[in-house]
Amino acid sequence: MNETLVTMELGEIIEDTRDFLSEEFEVDRNLILPENSLKDTLDLDSLDYVDLVVLIEENLNIKVTGEDFKDIVTFGDFYQLVQKKLSL
Amino acid sequence: MIVTKEKIVDYIPHRSPFVMIDNLVSARADRFESDFFIEEDNVLVHSGFFEESGLIENIAQTCAAGFGYLDHQKGAEPKIGFIGAISKLEVFELPLAHSKINTIVTPTHQLGNIFLVKGENYCNGRKLLECEIKIVVT
Repeated sequence: MNETLVTMELGEIIEDTRDFLSEEFEVDRNLILPENSLKDTLDLDSLDYVDLVVLIEENLNIKVTGEDFKDIVTFGDFYQLVQKKLSL
Repeated sequence: MIVTKEKIVDYIPHRSPFVMIDNLVSARADRFESDFFIEEDNVLVHSGFFEESGLIENIAQTCAAGFGYLDHQKGAEPKIGFIGAISKLEVFELPLAHSKINTIVTPTHQLGNIFLVKGENYCNGRKLLECEIKIVVT
């Protein structure tokens, strides 16, 4: 696990996540809010989810699986998953 | 050499004249390697050079053969895969007809039935093309 990440506050991780997601998926950063739908906001199709897995691994140094995505609807759900994976 | 040119069509769905791989040299879950001799009458040779599309197809067929071989080892039938997307494509040079190319495919990520692989072709140690391909397996 990336030692820098585990010492980061969840708030910092959320802000970093908003940065890389808005840049990669060319979405207004202000739309990446906990209550908004991850799929609809980022306009994800099934192939895009692979890009999302790669981005998460590269930026947050955590591995996510297809199983993990089953329970993720909103960005808030996603942050909970990150929190769980990083044991924050 | 784990699958020879004579048997390669048992592992891939492609048929002549669109078979763009000869031998599967090795296949592990994290790395496939193949070779291919480019004949002058190959349908993707133009003006004496094997086209970029041929190099990409060669990567995709190396991937198909690698996964097909691993499936076969497990007693399963090879699955059909489709190219979902190609990204990070860089072409360095095109090989001449009558060249032998070597191809390395590295599966890097999997999400359900979608695989992300990195592919590279080489000729005499020089890199010809590299790209990432998303393969959707049925």
